[in-house]
Amino acid sequence: MKKLIPKKDNKEDRMNFVEYWAEYVKTHSDGEWSRQQNILIDSQIQNARSLQLSRKDYIKLKSRC
Amino acid sequence: MEYNKEKKEIILNKKISELDKLVLDFINILKNHADYVIISGYVSIILGRARATEDIDLFIKKIDKNKFLKLYEDLIKNSYWCLNSDSPEEIYDYLIDNLAVRFAKKDETIPNFEVKFPKTKIDEETFKDCIAVKMPEGSIKISSLEIQIAFKKYYLKSDKDLEDAKHIEHIFKDKIDIEKVYKYKGILEKR
Repeated sequence: MKKLIPKKDNKEDRMNFVEYWAEYVKTHSDGEWSRQQNILIDSQIQNARSLQLSRKDYIKLKSRC
Repeated sequence: MEYNKEKKEIILNKKISELDKLVLDFINILKNHADYVIISGYVSIILGRARATEDIDLFIKKIDKNKFLKLYEDLIKNSYWCLNSDSPEEIYDYLIDNLAVRFAKKDETIPNFEVKFPKTKIDEETFKDCIAVKMPEGSIKISSLEIQIAFKKYYLKSDKDLEDAKHIEHIFKDKIDIEKVYKYKGILEKR
């Protein structure tokens, strides 16, 4: 895989990483990329469970969006 | 990840996340009561995008009230609750009014399933133009890659949506039907 070249603009740099990661997914086994992806996803779920946001507060938050 | 365009299926041998487990659990209940298709952010995530989400968006085909009451009963029996109301009649009325309702595991709020009835022609089209994602633990139906790209790139257009579209475009570069993407773009621009 090509090395990731940093970009000056944050938005551009984010998009650059999206492409880099997509290339990683394409060129590595499902087991390998998903192992890394799951670290991110599972930690969010653990955080959400520890946050214990009430359904009333959540709906209130969403309606502000 | 193998995409067979003719068969409209993706074979995925990923290690499933807590989120994937939850989706499979919810879908296993839902599919006994209504046809469905998963759309938006989770489609990109199941296809490898490196991000989390607080909700899984999906369309369910319009069902009558009695069928919905059975679905609701089944969800409650399997430890889900609705974040919008405890009255299934009221929840059904929201759906009929083209509003989305959210279901989560009992006493939890995130992640949740944002469920809605299709309201436009292109929403209806997602049921015909969908892909089965087959994992060892189970299968789910997602909207086609072309609908997903058109929606994210030409309609929603936030940074997150553009990144989701880019991810799918990069992974399935040679298999995306560009003409179909433009067809959907045209429909979306008229909305």
